Amino acid sequence: MATDPEDRDSRWPRRLYRDGSDPDPRFTLANERTFLAWIRTALALMAGGVGIEALNAATGQASPLRTALAVLLLLGGVLCSATAFARWMATERALRRGRPLPAPRLAPVIGYGLGAIGIAACVLLFVSGF
Amino acid sequence: MERPSGPWDPGLQIERTTLAWLRTALTFVVGLLVLLRLIAHESTLAAAVCGALTLPFGAAISWLAWRRHLRIERGLRAETPLPGGALPAAAAALSVLAGCSGLIYVLFT
Repeated sequence: MATDPEDRDSRWPRRLYRDGSDPDPRFTLANERTFLAWIRTALALMAGGVGIEALNAATGQASPLRTALAVLLLLGGVLCSATAFARWMATERALRRGRPLPAPRLAPVIGYGLGAIGIAACVLLFVSGF
Repeated sequence: MERPSGPWDPGLQIERTTLAWLRTALTFVVGLLVLLRLIAHESTLAAAVCGALTLPFGAAISWLAWRRHLRIERGLRAETPLPGGALPAAAAALSVLAGCSGLIYVLFT
C-alpha cells in the first residue's frame, strides 16, 4: 500500500523524510552507491593504516614515523566514515527538495592528503628504507 | 520466491546498488581478516574472540543488503517508497568503530 508521505512516513531519519517529496528512485539508489563508495574508501584508508603498522610488527622495531603515518591514515578513515552518512543525508535532502547537490568538501582533502602521504612515503622509502 | 515481471529499471540500478553493498561487506571482512591475523601475532585467543564478535557483522550486512534488494525490487513495482537510512547509518557506525579499533591497535601494541 502506498503510504501518505506527509504524516505516515516510518522511515528513519524522520527529520529527513518529512522534507520535500520522494525523488526518482534511481537518484536515491545512486546516492546510496556513492555513500557506499565513501565507506569503502574509508575502509581502504584504515587498511592502509593497519598495513603500515604491520611493518612495525614485522620488523620488530617500531618507528615513530610509521606509527604517525598509520594513525594519520586511520584518522582519515574515521573522518571519511563519520562524514559519509551526513553527506548521504545532505544529498538525499537536496534531492527531496529539488535543490542543487552539496559540494564534495571532503574529496579534495582526501585527494591532496593522500597525494602528500604518498610523496612522504616515497621520500621516506628512499631516504631511510622506511 | 516469485520475481515480479517486467523490467522496472533497464539500468539495473537496484542490482548495482546491492553489488555495492556486497563489495562494501567484502571489503569490511577482508580488512577484518588482516587485522585478526595481526592480532593473532599477539594472542590467538584474542584474535578468535575478536573474530567471533566482528565477523558476523559482515554476514549481517550482506543479508540485510539482500533483503533490502528484494524490498526495493518489490516496492518499486508496488510504488511504495524506498527503504530509509537505517542500514546506511549502521554501516557508517560500524566503519567508524572499525577505524577506532584500528587506532587502538596501532596506539597500544
